Amino acid sequence: MSETTDCAANNPMPEAANYRRPPEVVMRLARMGSFHQTRLSFMRALLRRLKQERWRFKRNLWAIDEQGFGRAVYTVYGPERTYSLVAFSHDLPDDMRSDRVIATAWDATFTLFDGIPDEADLDRLELNVPKQEAGRISDSELSLSRANRSVRLWQHVIDRLAAGLQPERDQLEAVGYLVRTTAVYGSGKFGAADRLAISDRPELSGPFQAELLSVWLTRAFSIDLIEHIARARGGEKAAVIEPDLRRRIGVGNSTGLGMAPFLVNHPALLNNWMMAREEAFARVRSLPRAEADAVDEFKRHFERARCNVSQWHSEHPIQIDKLASLNADLEKMAAYIERESLADDHPWDRFYCWAEDNLSLEGQEQLLSLMLEPYGALIDDLAQCMDADEHASFFIDGSMPVAGLLEIVETRCAWALAVDYEQPDNRARFWYTSAEKLEPRVGERFHEPGAEYELPLAIGYAVKRLYAALLAWKGGPTAAEFLLAHPEHRHTVRRVQNLVSHPYAEIQDNLIAADMLPIDILRCKLSFFGATKFDPRSDRWVRICMYQDAPFPHELLEAAT
Amino acid sequence: MSYHVTLAEIESYLRKAARASGLEWGLAEEAGKAARWLAAFDLPGPETMLAHLQNLAGKDYAAFIPRCDLEPWQAHGGWLCPIVTGAALADRSAAMLDGNELRLGKTAYPILLAATLGQAARFHRCAFTTHWPGLRLDCFGNGLSIEGDRDSLLLAEVDRVSCCKSDATAPQQLASTRAYNIDEDVFKGIEALAFETYAPATEESRAGAGAGLTDND
Repeated sequence: MSETTDCAANNPMPEAANYRRPPEVVMRLARMGSFHQTRLSFMRALLRRLKQERWRFKRNLWAIDEQGFGRAVYTVYGPERTYSLVAFSHDLPDDMRSDRVIATAWDATFTLFDGIPDEADLDRLELNVPKQEAGRISDSELSLSRANRSVRLWQHVIDRLAAGLQPERDQLEAVGYLVRTTAVYGSGKFGAADRLAISDRPELSGPFQAELLSVWLTRAFSIDLIEHIARARGGEKAAVIEPDLRRRIGVGNSTGLGMAPFLVNHPALLNNWMMAREEAFARVRSLPRAEADAVDEFKRHFERARCNVSQWHSEHPIQIDKLASLNADLEKMAAYIERESLADDHPWDRFYCWAEDNLSLEGQEQLLSLMLEPYGALIDDLAQCMDADEHASFFIDGSMPVAGLLEIVETRCAWALAVDYEQPDNRARFWYTSAEKLEPRVGERFHEPGAEYELPLAIGYAVKRLYAALLAWKGGPTAAEFLLAHPEHRHTVRRVQNLVSHPYAEIQDNLIAADMLPIDILRCKLSFFGATKFDPRSDRWVRICMYQDAPFPHELLEAAT
Repeated sequence: MSYHVTLAEIESYLRKAARASGLEWGLAEEAGKAARWLAAFDLPGPETMLAHLQNLAGKDYAAFIPRCDLEPWQAHGGWLCPIVTGAALADRSAAMLDGNELRLGKTAYPILLAATLGQAARFHRCAFTTHWPGLRLDCFGNGLSIEGDRDSLLLAEVDRVSCCKSDATAPQQLASTRAYNIDEDVFKGIEALAFETYAPATEESRAGAGAGLTDND
């Protein structure tokens, strides 16, 4: 609560509130599943900070053999602290390479170390980091991750570089990365430092900054590794990747269902991400006119988006349709830009109102991202409002009257009350944790065993049951008395009360419906990270690209001595 | 053997362990938070919570829900469950702001009860005192003071507990964020209980999760 209050109190543009889209428009899965990265995305906020604060960079250790196996350390030096990516590169047989969470070995494994590791730290980490979930890291480590090589690209790039040639641009751009991370753990997982231990450090207080720093350095490692192997193979004649082509290489990521419950389990955090994004958009829409340089910058980003979308491929029917809509939307936008003035009469608001009537959700959300681009000075401060003090939002106000709870449900949860959960399709699914995978999964309630293990993620259904219990309540007048008799509603009352201070905290859709698409939740989260090139591999598994076109450490930062 | 477990892991595992012991999710969340809160002061929250959950096993925990309209609070099962009672206390913590004292009868593991008042202290930006024979605990939002006989801290049962707003101004000890040292066998016990909330694999679940297309390209 305090963090949003502070951001609200410091809001330099309170008048923009009139342009904010309400939660019932924003918090829908179909829209969230159409989000694109913005300049508030966590990767971009991270790189902005590193640049502004003039962080320095050094590869402190490179102990990799000619086959490409060994250890390496990449360190970034900030004004107060340093962080090091510790990388281990392994010999992995092809038949063991899998992106599934059930894999037990990877091409490379990583941890982000708090400071600069010494030899003893590296030895300890080498015993644990390669085992990933089966190993144990400590308070000195901030993340744990792994990556696999892209089979499509890895050998091609080595062969070309070793022969003194550049990789084929088309082939490289079609994949977009040399390695694909499959899980990046942080925040107290597997022994890593607790989130609270780093939340008072400005550089890590934003969401996932430690994890995304590790991924950015992993990208640099992937290039160094492949050039090292090519040099060992080709000797003097071996080439390095040209800077322009190198920029096109990001880091891939495969994400499955395990990530989906995160947004439901962190309502205060979700609210703050959404609020910041919506507030940024509202500020831009509230501008009465646009300066010529802002319009020019918008147009530059628009053309870049058209180019990016033309390179965005997917084999999945859902995404193929969405991409077709997005391409059509971009053409309509181009015609609008040609036809209409973007200078006066609240140009951005007019443009967006037109988009609401004429574009698909993909196009509307793409337009939002583009409109934010020229306005860093106006909105970048909102990146500071995207973390959350979740412990503060845990407390239930037991003194709230039962009538007050009813009022919140009636005014803020119409989306939950409108659903008839007696219809089998409206509760066809259940979320559970798999004993075999130790990961969240979705089951079919009427066709699979295990519904008794259901996780409390069916928020809409829970709110509707809470509402019925509140209406039937004949006991004392306060929430405390209701909850003593109805402990089964405690989880839901906590969430419902939270909606007063966190109006964007709940996904306003039925998360157990037969037609619910988990990839919508994944895409929303990954867009906040800053991911691009969403490529669903099923309705519950998505591939993305991170940091494509971003600068590399040696380009963004000065060398440390 | 000692094992380092992070505060996030303590909260997560004890929440699941409490759920596996029959508590509703909302109460299980309180149990996870309470165990974490104590471990942040290097107090045996996880171990005590496990002992209490084992105590609940096979019993109808409704029998240990407090009658808050009685003075002192009591349950028809003979003793008060510190998780359910702690939640009820936190829910009624506003009543203590005016100087009221809440009195409880026979209570299991009162240290777990005190932990739930840490959440309330944070919300109300004040401190709450929990008293039982031989001990006084002052819970601040992010701190703790203990006065009295340390052996009384971990009592499995006490005859009476009282809670009120504290007049203490500063805690003796601030919460740490470091990992907590726990006996490995005890942690395995917690893990085993938490594991009971996981669904055994089925053919359908094995088929349904991963990529529809290849994941090695």
